[in-house]
Amino acid sequence: MEFSELIKVSKVDDVVLYRPFVAPVKGTLCISSHHLLFSSGTEGTMELWLLIRNIDAVEKRLMASSGTITLKCKDFKILQLDITGMEECLNIASSIEALLSQNSLDMMYPFFFRPTYMNMLEGWDQYSPERELAMLADHTDAFRISYINKDFAVCFSYPSVLIVPKSIDDEVLKKSAKFRQGGRFPYLSYYHKKNGKMIFRSSQPLIGPNVRRCKEDEGLLGTIVGSDERAYVLDTRSSQSIQQAKVMGGGTESTSNYRNWKRLQKALERGRILQESLIKLVEACNDQSHNMDRWLSKLENSKWLSHVQSILNAACMVAQCVEREEASVLVHGSEGTDTTLQVTSLAQVILDPDCRTLMGFQSLIEREWLQAGHPFQARCTRSAYSHAKLKQEAPTFLLFLDCCWQLMRQFPCSLEFNEQFLITLFEQAYASSFGTFLANNEKERFNNNVKEKTHSLWSWINSQSEHKRYINPFYSRNLFTIWPSIQPQSLQLWQGLFFRWNSLTQHKNEVWNAINNIINCEFWHSHKDKERHDLHLSLNTTEEQLSK
Amino acid sequence: MEFVELIKTPRVDNVILHRPFLPTVEGTLCLTGHHLILSSRQDNTEELWLLHSNIDSIEKRFTGSMGTIIIRCKDLRIIQLDIPGMDECLNISSSIEALSSLDSVTLMYPFFYRPMFEVIEEGWHSFLPEQEFALLNSVTDEWRLSYVNKDYSLCPSYPQIVTVPKSIDDELLKKVAMFRYLGRFPVLSYYHKKNGMVMMRSSQPLTGTNGRRCKEDEKLINATLRAGKRGYIIDTRSINVAQQARARGGGFEQEVHYPQWRRIHKSIERCNILQESFIKLVEACTDQSHSVDRWLSKLEASNWLTHVKDILTAACLAAQCVDREGASVLVHGSEGTDSTLQVTSLAQIILDPSSRSIRGFEALIEREWLQAGHPFQLRCAQSAYSSSKQKAEAPTFMLFLDCVWQIQRQFPCSFEFNELFLIMLFEHSYASQFGTYLGNNEAERQRLKLQEKTVSLWSWVNRPTELERFVNPLFEANSLVIWPSVAPQSLQLWEGVFLRWNRSSKYLDEAYEEMIHIIEQNKELQTKVNALRRQLAELETEDGIHESP
Repeated sequence: MEFSELIKVSKVDDVVLYRPFVAPVKGTLCISSHHLLFSSGTEGTMELWLLIRNIDAVEKRLMASSGTITLKCKDFKILQLDITGMEECLNIASSIEALLSQNSLDMMYPFFFRPTYMNMLEGWDQYSPERELAMLADHTDAFRISYINKDFAVCFSYPSVLIVPKSIDDEVLKKSAKFRQGGRFPYLSYYHKKNGKMIFRSSQPLIGPNVRRCKEDEGLLGTIVGSDERAYVLDTRSSQSIQQAKVMGGGTESTSNYRNWKRLQKALERGRILQESLIKLVEACNDQSHNMDRWLSKLENSKWLSHVQSILNAACMVAQCVEREEASVLVHGSEGTDTTLQVTSLAQVILDPDCRTLMGFQSLIEREWLQAGHPFQARCTRSAYSHAKLKQEAPTFLLFLDCCWQLMRQFPCSLEFNEQFLITLFEQAYASSFGTFLANNEKERFNNNVKEKTHSLWSWINSQSEHKRYINPFYSRNLFTIWPSIQPQSLQLWQGLFFRWNSLTQHKNEVWNAINNIINCEFWHSHKDKERHDLHLSLNTTEEQLSK
Repeated sequence: MEFVELIKTPRVDNVILHRPFLPTVEGTLCLTGHHLILSSRQDNTEELWLLHSNIDSIEKRFTGSMGTIIIRCKDLRIIQLDIPGMDECLNISSSIEALSSLDSVTLMYPFFYRPMFEVIEEGWHSFLPEQEFALLNSVTDEWRLSYVNKDYSLCPSYPQIVTVPKSIDDELLKKVAMFRYLGRFPVLSYYHKKNGMVMMRSSQPLTGTNGRRCKEDEKLINATLRAGKRGYIIDTRSINVAQQARARGGGFEQEVHYPQWRRIHKSIERCNILQESFIKLVEACTDQSHSVDRWLSKLEASNWLTHVKDILTAACLAAQCVDREGASVLVHGSEGTDSTLQVTSLAQIILDPSSRSIRGFEALIEREWLQAGHPFQLRCAQSAYSSSKQKAEAPTFMLFLDCVWQIQRQFPCSFEFNELFLIMLFEHSYASQFGTYLGNNEAERQRLKLQEKTVSLWSWVNRPTELERFVNPLFEANSLVIWPSVAPQSLQLWEGVFLRWNRSSKYLDEAYEEMIHIIEQNKELQTKVNALRRQLAELETEDGIHESP
C-alpha cells in the first residue's frame, strides 16, 4: 500500500491558518505521507509542520464555495484551516483521515525519520539490565541476570533480559509465571539502598474460584522476605473488582498461603474511566462560558484531580512501607501494566533522589514503563478529542506525569528537570518522530526492529541543544525522601499542560524567558570571567606601558 | 479602665504551644495588655508574640485538669495552647476574650507602640494630597484642589482636600454634595495621561422615586467630557438593586438628565454576602477530609472566586472605557466606599504602570482606600473565624488584594512588589501595631490624633531593610496597560493567604530564595564587568593621549 494512493490532493493554495496566540496566516497547504505542511510563502516565511499522527479529530464545515477544517491535536492544540473550494476541502479532510487510519507499525513516521545530525544507534542502550545489576552490586549481591525470557516465551510483555533474586532459580520463575496473568511473575522494581527493602511488581495470581495455589509462587515471595520479616501486597483494585476477578480466574494472594505478606488495598481507576475523565477535563478547559461555578463544577465532574490524588496516595503508601515500616512491597492490579506501574514508578520518584535527575528519570521511564510493558500504542492511539469509539485508550502515563508535576510544584528545588520535560514526554508518547514510545512492549519492538530502524527519543533529548531546555535552574540535589501533601487543597490543575493553548499560560512563558535569560547570563558569566581575566591582563600591560 | 483588671492570671508555666508545621514548644505563657507571649526561656527557640487584636475567636476544651485553648487568628492562622490547671485555663481564656474585643480605639496597641527602629521617612507625610496633585498639575491644568471639605462638614467620609474640575467652584460642590448619598460628590480618582481621560468616583445620586435632578451635579460630571464625546457611568449594583434604592431615596443617573452618559450596571456583591463567602472559603480551606470532590464543591459553594471575577471584570470594563474608548468614567454603587473603590483602584493597577511600583501602590492605597473613606475599622473588626453576629464586617479590601494577586500572577514581571507585600497589607488591615488602618475615614483619624500618637505603617515599610523583603526580583518596568484574563480557568485560589497555615511552604521558600540568590549574583557580576570595562576604556584613552605626541 502506497501513501500516495491515500493522498487525493497534495497541495492547496490560499489556505488561511488559524492558530492559538498568533494572527491568521494565508499560505499553501501540502500533505505528505506523515506531515501536514503549511507555508506562508511570503517574506518572513512561516512554516508549520504537523505530524499527522498528532491529529486526534478532523472536523469539517462546508459552505457553498469554501470549507473549514478544524484539526484537534493529541497535544490538545486546535488548528483551523479555511480552504477555498469545497472539493479541495473534502479531499484534504479525507486524505488526512485515510492517513490517520494507517495503523501498521512499520508505516509509522519514526521508520522514515532520518535526521542527518543524529546517529541511529545512540540512546537505545541508555538503560541496560546488566548495568543496572552492576550498580546494584555495590549494595547487594542478592541478584543475578536471567535469560529465561530470551525469546519472550515466558512472558510476552517482559523484556528478554531480567534481574532476578539469586536465591530463585529459573524453573521456579517459570512456574510462577504460569500462575500469574500474562506470565508477569513478581519482578524487582526498586531496591531501597538505605535499608535493603524492595518494591516488586507483578500481575494478579490466577487463583480463580477454586482457590488454586502455586507452591513456587508462594516460595518465590517467601524467599524474597526473610522468614521473620513483614511484607505487604498492595492491590490496586477495589474488593469488588477482586471478587469479580476471582470468578474470571484471577484473584489476589490469600494471607494464609502467603505467610508474612499482609494485604493492602488502594482502588485506582483504569481504562475507560480515565479516558472519559481526560475528555471531560479537556472539554472543561476549553469551555468558553465565563462562569466560575460552571468551571469549578466541570473540573470537579471530570474527577481528574481525584485520580491524581488516589495515585499519589497509593504511591505514598508504598513509599511509607519501604521507608518508615522497613518492609518490602509487592504491587499489582490485574494485568500489572497500568496502575501498578503508576504506583511503583511514583514511589521511586518519592524515595530515590537518583530518579529525580534528568537521566535518572529517563531510566525510570525506560525501566518502569517501556521495558515493564506498558502498552503505549494501545493507550495513546487517541487523545481527548477523538470521536472514535474507545478501545484501549487511557491516559495512564499522562496521569503519572501529572503526579510528577504535583511533586515538582511542591518541591521546586528537588527535581533536576522542569515542567517542559514532562510536557515533552506527554507529547512524544502520543505522536513522535522517534521510535521510543512505539509498540506495546519489548517483544513488539524487537519483532519490528525498532531499535535498528528508528531513532531513540533519549538521544535527541540528551543532545546538547535540547538538554538545556529541560533543566530546572533551581535544582539542588535533595537526598531525602520527598513526602508530598495529598490534601485536596494541595493539588492543582496542571495549567502548563491543560491551558497550554489558551492565552492563560503566556504569562508563565514570560517568567520562564526571564529566568532563562538569567540562566543564560550564568553561561555568559563564565565567558565574562574569561573576558575579565583578559581585561586584567591588558590592564596590567597598559599599566606597565604607562610606568615605562 | 486598666488592663490589669482584665488580666486575672498574668503568667502560667508549662504551657504547650502547637502551631502548624512547627515543633511544639513548652514554655511560659504571659499576658500583657496587648500581647499573648509564649516563651520557652531557652536560647534559639523563638518566642510567640501574638497581638490580642489579631485574635478572631477562641475555643476552650477540658480533659481532666488540662485545658486547651484553640485560638483562631484574623490572619487565618490557628494555634493551640495546652494549659495545666482548669482555673488558669479559664482565666486566660476570659482575659483573652476581653482583651481581644476592646471597644475603645484609643486602647488599641498602636497607641502604646513605640518603634524600635529609626524612622527614616515619616510615613504620615509620605503621600500628601498636595504632592500627588503637583504631579497631576504637571500634565494637565484642568483640575484644582478644593478645600471645601476642610472641616469634614460637607462629606464626613472625604478627606479635607479633594481634586475637582477647575471650572467647578466650591458653591456648586456644596449643592452637588446635597444630591449625593452621604455627601460623596464626584471627585477625581485617576487621570490617564495617555489620552487625558479620567475616572471619577462618587456615591449614588439621591434621585428618589420622583426622579429628582440636580443641574449642578450634571454640570460637574459633564465638565470632564470632551466636546462631542460620551462618558460612561459604571454602577456596581444590578439594575434591580439600583431601582430598589430609589424607594429609599437613592437611585441612579437617568438618561434624560445625563444624555451624554451611558450607564452600565456591573453587579458586585457587598458586605454580608462577601463576609459569608469569606467564612465559607476559609472553612473549606481548613477542611480535613481527603476528598477532592468535597473540596472543589466547597470551593465552588463559597463563591469567592466568582466575586474575584466580578470585581476584575468591572475593573477591566472601567479601564477599557478609559483606555480603548477614550471616554471618561464615573464609578459608584450606593455609598461609594466599597465596591466603588475596588473598581477604581484595580482599574488603576491595570492602566497605570506607576501604581504597580511599591511607592505607587502605597500611594494608591492611601488615596483610594484610606483617604477615600473605606471604613477599615468596621470592615476588619472580625475575620473569617468569628462566630459573633456580623455587623459591618466585609473582606472588601482583602478581595481587592486578591484581585491584585491574580493580576500579579498573570503578569509576574510587571509588579515591583511581591506576594509577601500583599499579604503584609492584608495582615495589617486586620491587626497591626501601626495606626494607618485605624478609624473609618480621615475625619475619625484626625479626631484620634493618629499622626501624633501612633506610627504610620509606611514609616516602617519604607525602610530599606524592610523593603528588601517585598521587592519582586523579576520586576521589569512595563509601561503598558496590562489586560488580565478574567476567564474562570485563569483565576486561582490565593494559596499564599488561604492555604498558608495548612501547607508547609519550606520548599517553596527555598526555591524563592534560590531565585533571589541567582538574580543577585547575576547583578553583582554584571556590575563588576561594567566597572572593569569602564576602567579599560579609560586606560585606553589615556594610552591614546600618551601615544599621540
